[in-house]
Amino acid sequence: MKFKSQKIAYWFFASAMLLLTLQIVYGFIMGFARIGYDVLHDWIPFNTARAVHTNLLVVWLLTGFMGSAYYIIPEESNRELEWPKLAWFQLISLLVVGVIAVVCYHLNIWEGRKFLEIPRPLDYLVVINVLCFLANIGMTLWKGTQHTTTAIVLYMGLLFAALLYLPGMITFDNQTVDSFYRWWVVHLWVEGVWELIMGGILCFLLIKLTGVDREVVEKWLYIIVGLTFLSGILGTGHHYYWIGTPKYWLIIGGIFSSLEPLAFLSMAVYAVAMAKKGGRKHPNQIALTWSLGCAIMSFVGAGFLGIAHTIPPVNLYTHGTLITAMHGHLAFWGAYAMINLAMIAYALPQMTGRKLWDTPMTSWAFWTSNIGMVGMTGALAAAGITQVTLERRMGIDFLAVQKEIEMHFIGMLLAAALFTVGIVMFIITFFRHGLPSDEAVGADVAGDAAWAAAKS
Amino acid sequence: MLSKSQARTFFLGGTGVFSAAFLALTFDTHSRIPARTHTEAITPAVARGKRIWENNNCMGCHTLFGEGAYYAPELTKSVERRGKEFLRIFLKDPEAMFPGQRKMVNYHFSAEQIDDTIAFLDWCGKVDLNGFPAKPPLQKTIVPVAAQQMVVTSTREVPAIFTEKTCLACHSLLGKGAPNMVMPNLKGEMVAVPSLDEVYKRKSRPDLVKWISNPQAIKPGTPMPTLVPAVVSTAQVEEIADFLMSLNPSAPPTAAAPAANAPGSAPPPPAPAPAAAPKAN
Ligand code: HEC
Ligand code: HEC
Ligand code: HEM
Ligand code: HEM
Ligand SMILES: [Fe+2]
Repeated sequence: MKFKSQKIAYWFFASAMLLLTLQIVYGFIMGFARIGYDVLHDWIPFNTARAVHTNLLVVWLLTGFMGSAYYIIPEESNRELEWPKLAWFQLISLLVVGVIAVVCYHLNIWEGRKFLEIPRPLDYLVVINVLCFLANIGMTLWKGTQHTTTAIVLYMGLLFAALLYLPGMITFDNQTVDSFYRWWVVHLWVEGVWELIMGGILCFLLIKLTGVDREVVEKWLYIIVGLTFLSGILGTGHHYYWIGTPKYWLIIGGIFSSLEPLAFLSMAVYAVAMAKKGGRKHPNQIALTWSLGCAIMSFVGAGFLGIAHTIPPVNLYTHGTLITAMHGHLAFWGAYAMINLAMIAYALPQMTGRKLWDTPMTSWAFWTSNIGMVGMTGALAAAGITQVTLERRMGIDFLAVQKEIEMHFIGMLLAAALFTVGIVMFIITFFRHGLPSDEAVGADVAGDAAWAAAKS
Repeated sequence: MLSKSQARTFFLGGTGVFSAAFLALTFDTHSRIPARTHTEAITPAVARGKRIWENNNCMGCHTLFGEGAYYAPELTKSVERRGKEFLRIFLKDPEAMFPGQRKMVNYHFSAEQIDDTIAFLDWCGKVDLNGFPAKPPLQKTIVPVAAQQMVVTSTREVPAIFTEKTCLACHSLLGKGAPNMVMPNLKGEMVAVPSLDEVYKRKSRPDLVKWISNPQAIKPGTPMPTLVPAVVSTAQVEEIADFLMSLNPSAPPTAAAPAANAPGSAPPPPAPAPAAAPKAN
């Protein structure tokens, strides 16, 4: 860690870990409801559990992105953060808004649109919050002594994410128009601007961890995010097949969304190639493992499982079934959860000065959580395929089919338990690092200076 | 090989071109939405229904246009599938209709709120969704109950209830209604919904009345809902029982039956009388 103000990232990461834990708790509530143990129904009905589960997911990922930005932007711009106190204010107010939203869901108060459930007044607070964040890192970047591609791409991703949140705040009486703009947030986030954020963070990590020349890494970054937008913007059409929008979206959405996996594939190839090419064996190997894992799993979850149901003749039957849930889990995990965990695995030793990077628990955490998540995805795939066959293709009643697939949810819960063990190990390691310390400022924890000297 | 500045141009240029294309298509889509979605049919009731839909986050259990959660049935065609009357009763007390099933929240809606919700769902069902939800390709085509023809083998008049979806949302009767429906009971076992064609073979008239009036009392945990008196009046039950018993070819003649249908005579030839006029939904 070069600058004292980067320490704030620790608190964003710690909050993210807390929210992740809660997200998993609500996931289990839904999982049990699905196998017939809907015991909390009177207090936490399924729709409450679901809104909490998915919103906490989005909020912990965003908290992690913000933490990453507070770490990366000062380092890349070569100066302290502009307003460290504002960052504190921003973290605390974000958490307060989050807690209010979660309480509202338990009281049946919401906007009630999938992923955008938070009540409208809170939307405005989120906007103010994000403006503080963008101003803070924007100012730091602006006044910095260097403007790297990595930092600019990361900043652009965060800025566009904020802008795209706005169309989700307009009220419409027409469900079709409502849904049309909901996707500007949901789709253009995960298959557009969030990929910029992911690309920026991955680029930063690869430069640090593999020692490959910055110019090479950043050139590929441009190509990858270029591919993302080339396919992802018109790829929004894969959500416009069946909501009342014109038929030409079947063709446009089908073609462009089928190209989307290219961006994820190139991300995976690029990360592995850089790791092979780089001349450096960085001591923090587990951070590299998470980075490469992220690049590969995002291709599997988003790219492969995405294209599996994106063309219209398939999507006509899989639309709105557990196939979507299967893809949602592995895509979010591979792309955005893992990039955050990679960043945390890299930054923690830097911020605390404690080198817990090759304890057995760190690799156990990686493998257990990933195998658990793949297991969950497999169980959801089995449930989804059965659902599509029985309900959508044979016309059997919805509830009757749900009974048939209950057993897959027992499997899913077992895999989820394994996944949770992995996450618990990750969090234990997190807290064993202790708090960020001023002694770590300027300390060359990973021997970067020595390596740079040897190279030149 | 590509230089870094060429790579940047690729990124900025591509983003610009495709964003512009997307905005143009958005514009065009807006111009076509009114016709495809019948915006003129968005009455104040439909708009209020949409608010009810959102303010209770129904999307957190259900899908609509295939969007939402996968815990409860897709509702785009629910009005067409179930009929307004069924939904009205259902929304008043969801558990009463499907006791022991996966639970829906009871929102204690007022009658107006229920009407608004149904108006909204009805509007949704009429939007042109490019063919979603698809007809299950591996299932025999299902004709909406109201449009189906019943092959009436009784000389009695068909009770009005069999022209609606109420019983025929689950049962089949004389070629009309839902064939081969399967439902889970309280214990989670699958129960086939029997056809009502030959129920006279299995139940006496008093048993039939008892069963329809309160199936739970006779077979606790059965998936057959208790519809009396909320949906079906006791007078209607008598009418239904009379009709179902009269399907027995060797049934004694009733006052209503013409003399030709005397005992010992051959079963009346199936007189394919169309069901009474479909009730407008
Ligand atoms: C906690 C989950 C949950 C919520 C929230 C919920 N539902 Fe349901 N709903 C269900 C389930 C489960 C069923 C299936 C029937 C049953 O078992 O009650 C159902 C059935 C229905 C049906 C009948 C569908 C059919 O084809 O028979 C309608 C209509 C309906 N819900 C409307 C709504 C509306 C409107 C809202 C919001 C005001 C809503 N639901 C909120 C779980 C939910
Ligand atoms: C929600 C679906 C549903 C509706 C609506 C419904 N039933 Fe049923 N009904 C069933 C099921 C399921 C069974 C089988 C019960 C069992 O075996 O536990 C059944 C059984 C019966 C039986 C007994 C059949 C036999 O062979 O023993 C009769 C008679 C009957 N229903 C009449 C009616 C009438 C009349 C109506 C309308 C007023 C009606 N049902 C509405 C689901 C339904
Ligand atoms: C990291 C990137 C991605 C994430 C996090 C992600 C996540 C999700 C989520 C959560 C949904 C459900 C959305 C909702 O119903 O509100 C969804 C839907 C969908 N995704 Fe992705 N996705 C990603 C990338 C992709 C890619 C690259 C493709 C295509 C190749 C794709 C294809 C689809 C399709 C077709 C649907 C609609 C499913 C339906 O009809 O129900 N996704 N995705
Ligand atoms: C570990 C325990 C977990 C369990 C038991 C669990 C279970 C569930 C269940 C039951 C649903 C609702 C599906 C439905 O509508 O019926 C759901 C939705 C979802 N979960 Fe999880 N989950 C867990 C962890 C996670 C994690 C770690 C992530 C992300 C990385 C995640 C991402 C999502 C997403 C994106 C959705 C919405 C999917 C969609 O709408 O298509 N979940 N989860
Ligand atoms: Fe998408």
